[in-house]
Amino acid sequence: MFRKLSRRDFLRLAGIATSSAALAACAPQPAPVATQPPAAGAPAPTAAPAAAKKVKIEFMNWWGAQRRPLMDQVITDFMAANPNIEVTNQETPWDNRDQVAATAMASSTPPAVMMSTRVETYKYAKEGLIIPIDDYVKAAGVDVNKLFYPGEINNQRWNGKLWTMPMPTGGGNSSLYIYSKALFKAAGLDPEKPPKTWQELDDVAAKVLKKKGNAIEVMGVDPVGGTAAGATTLIYWLVCNNGNLATEDARTLTINTPEAVETLEWLVEFTNKHHGGWSNCIDFWTGNNDTAPDGRFYKDRLGIWWVNVSAFSHLKTQAPDKHKDPQNGWGVALRPYNGKNAKATHHGETGLAFAWGQVIPKAIAKEKQDAAYKFVEFLSTNNKGVCAFLFAQDRPAPLISCNANPDYKKNNPYWDIVLKALETDMSLPITPVQTEISSFMKEAVEKALLATAKPKAALDEAASKGQAVLDKYWKGA
Amino acid sequence: MPDLAPAVAATTADQSPRVTWLTRFRYRHRYVVGYLFILPWFLSFLWFDVIPFILNLYLSATNYSVGPLGRAKWIGLENYTTIFTTDPRFLKSAGNTLYYALGAVPLSLLCAFTIALLLNSKVRGLGVYRTAFYVPSLVPAVAASLIFLWILNTNYGALNRLLGVVGIEPIRWLSRPEWVKPAVIIVSLWGFGAQMVIFLAGLQDIPRELYEAVEIDGGGAWRKLIHLTIPLMTPVIFFNLVVGVIGSFQVFTPAYIFFGTDGGPLNSGLFYMVHIYNNAFRFFKMGYATALSLILFIFILIFTIILVRTSDRWVFYTGGGR
Repeated sequence: MFRKLSRRDFLRLAGIATSSAALAACAPQPAPVATQPPAAGAPAPTAAPAAAKKVKIEFMNWWGAQRRPLMDQVITDFMAANPNIEVTNQETPWDNRDQVAATAMASSTPPAVMMSTRVETYKYAKEGLIIPIDDYVKAAGVDVNKLFYPGEINNQRWNGKLWTMPMPTGGGNSSLYIYSKALFKAAGLDPEKPPKTWQELDDVAAKVLKKKGNAIEVMGVDPVGGTAAGATTLIYWLVCNNGNLATEDARTLTINTPEAVETLEWLVEFTNKHHGGWSNCIDFWTGNNDTAPDGRFYKDRLGIWWVNVSAFSHLKTQAPDKHKDPQNGWGVALRPYNGKNAKATHHGETGLAFAWGQVIPKAIAKEKQDAAYKFVEFLSTNNKGVCAFLFAQDRPAPLISCNANPDYKKNNPYWDIVLKALETDMSLPITPVQTEISSFMKEAVEKALLATAKPKAALDEAASKGQAVLDKYWKGA
Repeated sequence: MPDLAPAVAATTADQSPRVTWLTRFRYRHRYVVGYLFILPWFLSFLWFDVIPFILNLYLSATNYSVGPLGRAKWIGLENYTTIFTTDPRFLKSAGNTLYYALGAVPLSLLCAFTIALLLNSKVRGLGVYRTAFYVPSLVPAVAASLIFLWILNTNYGALNRLLGVVGIEPIRWLSRPEWVKPAVIIVSLWGFGAQMVIFLAGLQDIPRELYEAVEIDGGGAWRKLIHLTIPLMTPVIFFNLVVGVIGSFQVFTPAYIFFGTDGGPLNSGLFYMVHIYNNAFRFFKMGYATALSLILFIFILIFTIILVRTSDRWVFYTGGGR
């Protein structure tokens, strides 16, 4: 009746049990999974799901801190307008974002809507993990080209398809800066005449700087702008020197052109001349979070702060007294350009860093995809979505109509400069392999700043390595 | 296990059928209980170790990204060829990790052993000292790394202030490539408490009469340490060494907290695990990352085998056993 359980039997049973568990875990969800949105002409996919059934979707995002209640309000307003859809605000900590986002998207149960940077969106699209929204947009009659700034909507296109709508702005990332009028006055500079060219930055750097030995106590200008140099360090300045990341078709890198070399040489010379080397700058930046209350700009230890448009909200929250006094406390200007290059003018970049959108995974049920699109559309195009959410942060929107709100000027007397900055943003030509290319650019900038290679040699090496990655990508594509 | 056959035979002849059935069952399935006890562990071992390992082997020979497994294309040994021929960050990260291991493991062993020796002596407030030295090892690595971000600050960090007292100029621990790895090694010493407790347990296992014998022969503290304590502690030293080496090759958290995924100035803080992380989650080259991780596994395995094989020469077990 009973047979002795041998080791082999045990292993066999254990193997069967584990395999069963594996199969059970990997089994498809019972709900039907759509691989493509319905074709144009089909019944509008944005129509509300059947009244009897409430569709539950999750929105994975990184809108933490003071933005959380604002996003909660957007979701509440969306659900009031769409009673058959329930949205869960899945706010996620910033730590390990790369890993959390990639594994969530690759899992068999991804969130229905996920906040995603431009380069992440491209990578997910390349891997077939998300759905394009062209057919949804067409069925809903949304004219995205009229609603959004061209650079903003183009950031969300890849391989001829639209993958999401922009929210918040991808622009305003590098095109403006905030400066301390108090420090300008104390240094004998005219606070109403912020520097417009690289050459004018010299004056600010020299006059505002206070050092104790090698230690920088008050920084006038650091064009690198933080503890880490990166691809953005070079690109932010390169676009202000009539340069770009790559050719328009994104097939050839242009990071070692004469303009790029001149840009990196200027960065190195400026840093050595005013700060005695980049290490002194890193020591200045190490330790504080500049969006925390003890941030250097708030404490008048920084003359010029290279920031994106999120800075106004941080300034209002962390240094309210300073924020309330724009006449004496702070000013806004456009990022300076190379005054020695006749073809150079002011520009910002958009699309290399951040340029967020909200993507919809392929691996979810169709009814969830439909509901997810409705939420994305609301979030990106509705007054109670993007406009309310970004206005509350004193932040411009990628949706053109939002920025016409006259109340923006009440909160920010420099609003016209902010809008001007958005107009001058250039959407950079990137591909899904940009992260790897950026890592080579980061190495080049560091080598030059730490004097282990000449700027030209460093950029040539980065261009060579990056181009190999790009060529491999295009070969595969 | 005792041979129950005679008992079963006797029971079969003399006892009631119910008792007979139970006894026979217990005899025939005497191994089942043991297997049942290890079954949960064995299932998790299969699910979390064996299957991922086999999958890792397969994926390392593909161009797998992060999408469905079905999209992974078999590319044979291409990942390995790339690693050994054209990936400059492989050698850089492996070198950084080896540097760290060679610095962190001996130093933490030395600290842990020295403090354990001190805490093994009879002094007032011993319990307080033991707790004080052990508690830091309970602090999560992330929290410890954040604390060290302040301690190692060039201009106002505690360590440079301390060095300043003896006239040493501020060291740029986190901003100069040559100081980044020593800084991470210093952070690793923070957690020596766990090793210290194991050493302490080993020290308390040494029979008191052996020390008395040395004293009778006229030996002092130094001779006791060299000729008695250290030789008898070699099995414990060996254990801590092996565990320390395995852990040090997987260093990740301090570097990640200090420099993010960028690897610090000139990649001086780009450790092997960070390189794997970057390839897997930033570059979406999961197949390549699995090949990198397999190389790390093989390297740690070889290193451990070498340690075990050479341990015959310097590890002494009481009673001569192994």
